[in-house]
Formats: sequence, structure tokens, C-alpha cells
Amino acid sequence: MDPEARKVIELGYGGSERLTMNMGPQHPSAHGVFRAILTLEGETVVGVDAVIGYLHRCHEKLGESLTYTQYPSIASKTDYVAAMTSELAYVSAAELVGKIEVPKRAQYLRVIVAELQRVASHCLWLGTWCLDMGGALGGGATVFLYCIREREWVLDLFEALVGARLLYGFHQVGGTRYDVPAGWAQKCRETIGLIEKRLDEYEDMLESNAFFLARTQGVGTISRELAQTVGVSGPLIRGSGVSYDIRRLEPYSSYEEFDFKVPVETGGDCYARYRVRMVEFRESINIVRQALDGLPEGPVSSRPGVKSVGQVRVAKGEGYARVEGPRGEVGCYLVSDGGAKPYRMKWRGASFSNLSVLPHILIGCRVADVVAIMGSVDPVFGEVDR
Amino acid sequence: MPTLPPLAAEAIYGFVVAFIVLNVIIGMVTYVTLLERKFAARMQSRIGPYRVGPHGLLQPIADALKLMMKEDVVPRRADRPVYNLAPIVFLVPCMLIFATLPFAPGLGIADLNIGVLFFLAVSAMEIVGLFMGGWGSNNKYALLSAMRAVNQIISYDLPFVFVALIPVVLAGSLRLSDIAAAQAGLPYVFWFPLGTLAFFAYIVATLAAENRVPFDILEAESELIAGFRVEYSGMKFALIQLGEYAHMIGTSYLGALLFLGAWSGPWAATSPWWGALWFTLKAMFVFLLVTWIRWSFVRIRADQILAISWKVLLPASLLLLMATAVVVALRSPSG
Amino acid sequence: MARRLGQSFWGDLADLCGAVARAMKVTLINLIRRPVTVHYPDKVRAYPDRYRGLLALTYDKETGEENCIGCRLCEYICPPQVIKVEMLKAEKRNFAKTFTLELYACEFCELCVQVCPTDAIIMMKSFDMSTADRRELLLDKDRLHQIGLKFEPSWATGNLLREMQTPPKTPAKAGGHAE
Repeated sequence: MDPEARKVIELGYGGSERLTMNMGPQHPSAHGVFRAILTLEGETVVGVDAVIGYLHRCHEKLGESLTYTQYPSIASKTDYVAAMTSELAYVSAAELVGKIEVPKRAQYLRVIVAELQRVASHCLWLGTWCLDMGGALGGGATVFLYCIREREWVLDLFEALVGARLLYGFHQVGGTRYDVPAGWAQKCRETIGLIEKRLDEYEDMLESNAFFLARTQGVGTISRELAQTVGVSGPLIRGSGVSYDIRRLEPYSSYEEFDFKVPVETGGDCYARYRVRMVEFRESINIVRQALDGLPEGPVSSRPGVKSVGQVRVAKGEGYARVEGPRGEVGCYLVSDGGAKPYRMKWRGASFSNLSVLPHILIGCRVADVVAIMGSVDPVFGEVDR
Repeated sequence: MPTLPPLAAEAIYGFVVAFIVLNVIIGMVTYVTLLERKFAARMQSRIGPYRVGPHGLLQPIADALKLMMKEDVVPRRADRPVYNLAPIVFLVPCMLIFATLPFAPGLGIADLNIGVLFFLAVSAMEIVGLFMGGWGSNNKYALLSAMRAVNQIISYDLPFVFVALIPVVLAGSLRLSDIAAAQAGLPYVFWFPLGTLAFFAYIVATLAAENRVPFDILEAESELIAGFRVEYSGMKFALIQLGEYAHMIGTSYLGALLFLGAWSGPWAATSPWWGALWFTLKAMFVFLLVTWIRWSFVRIRADQILAISWKVLLPASLLLLMATAVVVALRSPSG
Repeated sequence: MARRLGQSFWGDLADLCGAVARAMKVTLINLIRRPVTVHYPDKVRAYPDRYRGLLALTYDKETGEENCIGCRLCEYICPPQVIKVEMLKAEKRNFAKTFTLELYACEFCELCVQVCPTDAIIMMKSFDMSTADRRELLLDKDRLHQIGLKFEPSWATGNLLREMQTPPKTPAKAGGHAE
């Protein structure tokens, strides 16, 4: 080819044609309120500038003004998709600092509820991810509605247990607020049996589907070193080859008594994270069955029922408690001065730390991959902005 | 009574027939949207529109009224002439394709002897309207989507044409009614293996030419909101939707004619209206098949779509066409 | 179960055809299944016993008197502070002079129900109070009593909840609440 012609073509296309596109806070697939200012060259992303904070509601200040009896209901609003694990982080921190015991039955109930919540949260993740990849008027919407249909069954279980479907207020310092009603255990077993069968349907629809594989394999690869440096947790780090699950490393709430697998994949791409979460589905159902089988008799709380707002006082001290939420490590650092309210409370949101990996993996991918990657990172902005 | 000169009489007759057919098509388009919504809803464990009219039968009319009453918002820095003309330039070719379709022997507006060629050429002109819409909107999302659309539709028009030529070679004529009549014995889709493979290739090419999932990077709701349509509202949006669905139905009718035997069916010989009914039913079958595929898959990326077109579909359709030509040449002794 | 793409052209094509058929089979099966839609409001689904719906004040079953003694415990524990109570002192027992609850800001967390010593404030098994004017959701004492008479109450009252949560005095007594 004529060298002069080649120079013109290469300069013109590969050089200076850059487009700044705002994937703004109002966007069908921003998973919440997230602003990503993308710099595009054609279809390739060359720069990303992430802006968060649109959902900031001063949770940490609220933690200082609300007492230990009031705040667990509010704690569920940080990661509102997985409310049970968010509440668990807070009450675990208060129990850690105050050296408050939790009876065995309450611990098993907490495990059942946390794992059911993981199933519900992963249903939502799968549905919204396929929705983003497939379009609101396409195959994505089909998988979305199937997943939501299954999630509604789990929420029906929660409704029978607690009375609420999304934001529960189930935990309290010292145990749980509600005990299991009659017939709930049987209903629970039936529901998770049905969900397990439906999981086979999803895997049929997606697993060997070349379209799905083409969209997810090799996309958004997080290398093992990057995962460990940047501080991601949950399915993101387990999809990159590091076996890091808080339920195994620092078992809380009787997790050491259950027999479950921690899925680890070495691919590091969206497909690996998808496989990790699909296995987590089945393992959660397994844990719920074991917990229901072994549910001990006993009280559900080690302290009398809440009668007044300042009833719970936590001894002076500070501590950090963390739980394995569906998105990663959710932690709460509590500093107590001996009163009925914390002196300082800090949330470690799993999605906030997971988002820090975005500038590393979004550069060099295409616009369509941005949505797939955001979906597989699965942020919930209640946790990010608190 | 003074008789009209023959040219004027023919013009008036053509105008009246075209008017009737156009209105029938528009009516069908609005109710096809309802059919698609109910079908998709049932596949997703829910019911579609239900409350507007018995079982949602008045929903399309409510939608049409709503679109007509909406305020027409034009972006301040949009390129006015291009922006305003785009829906019309998009709609007209989509309506023109119905001019050559023979709905039954003798029932049709203009049965050109180059019917297939006219259909394919005119239906490809919608791309001009599409790009005008994307450009005139002064919106980066719209522009990005319009560029992707041009890429995709141009790439997929080639295999589309080649696959549509297979029944032409089998029937030996470009005239649509000849192709339909040649399938009176057995529709081409049953001519295994060439006809069946050609039908599947036609379905894939239709999906892409129509910007349907899995090839709908053009609209990609979750990325580009509504693609080139994003800045349109009210009546202009209604025209664009009309054009899209009319094109969809047009290619369904073409598929039914080329591969499923158009108007052949029980009692078709007795009256042309039975033939028209069978034709419509077969077109709806093709449409529902495309809809079924649309609601089952996730979208694939732009570069993968183009890769499928150039690396898989084009060679496959060329091979099928050559194989058909060889078969036809071998069958007829005169060559 | 899944294979990496790009290994062989015919293998990929065969996989693709199989995958397409499997995906379309799933949607076809769901086409035939009954839809899960509940035709609200013509039909309503059965709400569980513990459903946390609208809030209401109750009357005593035997004497017909108001249960609320104006102690303000619910006001103090409410996290978004939507309850405002003024106490009215009387000879035998106290009453609530005014009791306002801002339902538009209520979180439905059931903490007020939990702390009430006389089971005065409870939640109903219904949420059917949609309105076009937010001022109608500022409930005063009369409206709260009306709601209590109109809908079906949930299982939870203050004493029942505290009884469920409090550990038994004697360690030998079995827990595990069953209703």
C-alpha cells in the first residue's frame, strides 16, 4: 500500500478521534446511581472516570444518633438487596465489642436467613445482568422475569417469617427478633427444592449458549495479582483464583458446623464470576437444608425483648466484625464509649471496594462490554454511597 | 357521463387500492404489536396487556392515541430538516414494500415481474432514514447507534439477498406470484436440505435486518437507550415504530411467500380470500418464530455480529445459492 | 458443561445449534406454564399472619377503652421519628391526648409495636390506603382507630413479640416458639 495513504488512514482513525460519553446516573443499566464518564475511541474505552455519591444518606452519622435497638432496621438499607447480611454485620460488631453472647438457635436462624438472602440476591444479580446484556425487550427480559419469579418465592418465605419483603429488621443485638412460625420449615424446604430445579433451567438457557459465552468469556479479566492488590472480595476474588471466603477463614455464627464448598475459578473473566455465583446458589441451598435439619431448640435472643430505646448498652471498646455478603466482605467497625449509641461506626461496603477495580479492567474493552462487566461486578449503590 | 381518460382512471383506481391496502397494513401493524406483547408475556410467566379493553384488545388504540397527543419535543441544536424528514424517509420504503406483495392470486397492488428485486432494493432504503434520524438528533448515543446500524444492515443485506434468491432460482422467475404458484405442490421449506437450510438462513438474516435480538445492538436498551429513536417523541416516534413493524411484517410476508408457499392451503382454489387468510397465517407464523427467538437470547456484541455475517452467513448463503443453481441445472435437461 | 469458544468451527456450530434449541425449549415450556400474575385488585393473595401493613390503635376487647396510655415509648424508639404523642393525665390511667403518625415517612419496622406495653399500636394485614394527597397520610388518633377497626390485624403485638424474644428464666424450659 502507498505509504502516504497508509499514514493518512492510520492517523485519522487511531489518533485523535475521541468521544467523551457520559454513562450517567440515570441509565437503564447503571445498576443504581452511578456515573461513568467514558472516553471512547470508536467503540473502545480508553479512559474511565467514575463518579459516585448520588445515594449518600449519612449512614455513619445516623449510626451515631440512633441507638443499638433502632439501628439494625436502618442497617438493612445499606445493601438493600441483601438486607440480612447488612444487618448481621452491624449486630455482629455490637456483639463483638460488648462481648454479648448469641444463643445457638439464633445463630442457626441467622445462617438460614443469610443463605436464603444470598439465593435471592443472586437471583436478582442474574436477572439484571441478563437484562443488561440482552435488552429490556429481548431475551434478557425473559431471564430477568424468571429470576424475579424465583426471588419472589424466597421473599414470600421472608414475609411469612418477618412480615416484610425487602427491608427486614430481623436481627437485634443478642439474637434475632423473630422465631420460626409453624409450618415455615416445611415451606422453606419445598421452595428451595423448586428453586434448585429452576436453576437447571437457567443453566440450560445460558450455559452453552454461544451468544452468552461470546459476551462473557475473556471479558473483564481480573488477574490474581490485581484482585489481591486492589481489595475486591466475594465472587470477584474467588473468580480470579483466590480462595477467600470469610465463612471459611473466620467463621461467624456457627458456619464452622456446616459442610459446604467454596467455589473458586481461575478464569478471572465475567464467565468465571458467573460460574462462582451459580455454584454459590446451590451451596446456599445446601447450607439451608443442613441448618433446617439441625435447628436446635432454645431462645432466639440472649437478652430480654426490647422495651425501651436505650435498653442495650455496649461496653467501652472497639472492634471490627465482617460477614460474607453476596457481594463480598461487608464489615462494620464500631467504637463504643459505654452508652446506648455507638461513638463511631464505619461501614465497609463490599461494592465500594469492588468498584475500585473498574479503572483497571474497563480500559481497552468495548462499550458493550462495559455493561457486561458492571453486571458481573454487581454493585449495589446503597453500599457504595451509604 | 364523460369518461375519464384511461391514465386518470388507472391512477384513481391505483390510489384507492393503495389507500385501502395501506390502511389494512397499518391496522395490522398496530395489532401485531399486541400479539407480540401477549406472546412474549406468556413466555415470561405473565399476561400481557389485560385491562385496556377485554384482554387488552384496545391497548394498541390507546397507545396510538397517546402517541398522537404527546408533545413534540425537538432538541434545540438538532439539524431541523434532517431531523424532521427522517421518520418519513424511514417510513416510506417500509410501506412501499407492500406494493409488490400478492396477497392472493390476483389480489395485490402491482405484481411487478421483478418483484423480489423491488422488494429487497426498496426495503434496504430504510437505512437512509435511520441514519438521518441518528445524525439529525445531535445526540452521541443516537449517532453511535446509527453508525452501528448502518454497519449491521449493510452487512446483513448481502446474505439476505442471496438467500432470497434461492427460491427465485428454484422457481425460475423474479415475479412474486410465480414463486408462490411454483410452490403449489410442496413449499420450498420442505425441499430438504437446501430449502430448509435456506429458510433458517432467511430467519437469521431477517433478525439482523430487523434489528431484533440477538442482533439488536442498534437499540440495545440497556446501553444506548433507544438507539437512533432516542430523541423522537409523539407522532414522529409513532411513525418510526410504524415503519419498523411494517418492515417486520413485510419481511415475514416475504418469508412466507418465498419458503412457506404463500397462499397454498385447503380451499385456496375456491376463493382468493381463503388464500389471503392462509398467507396471513403463514406470515404470522414466521413473525412468531422470529419473536420466539428474540425473547430467548441475549444480545451479542457489534463486532461479533459483523463477524457472524461476513464469516458465516455470507459464505453459507453463497454456497446454498450455488448448490441450488447446480441442482436446478441438473434437474432441467435444457439447462 | 460449557466449552471455550473458538476451538473448532464445526464444533462451535454444532454447539450453537444445540444451545439455540435448548434455550428455545425453555421459553416454549414457560409459554405453556400458567402465568404467575395475581389479578390485583380483583383478586388479592393471602397475606401471612405476620404481615407488616398499616398501623393502627386498638381498643380494649372487654372494656372498649382505648389501649394507649400515652407513655411515648413508641415515639422514642421510632428511627425516623414519625410518631408524636401528647399524654393526657387522668385519675385511674393516662390517655393519649393527641397521637399523630406520619405514614408517608414510616419505615414499617415494627419497633413501635415491639415496645408498646399495652399492645395499643399494632400493624394490619393490609396496605390498602393509596391516596393522591399526601396530607391524608398524616394519621391522627381517630384515623388510627378507624384503621384498627377496618382491616384485619396482624399477629404481632408488643407482648407477643417480647415474649418470643425473651429467653426463658429457667434454662431447662424448652424454647422454640410455635403458634
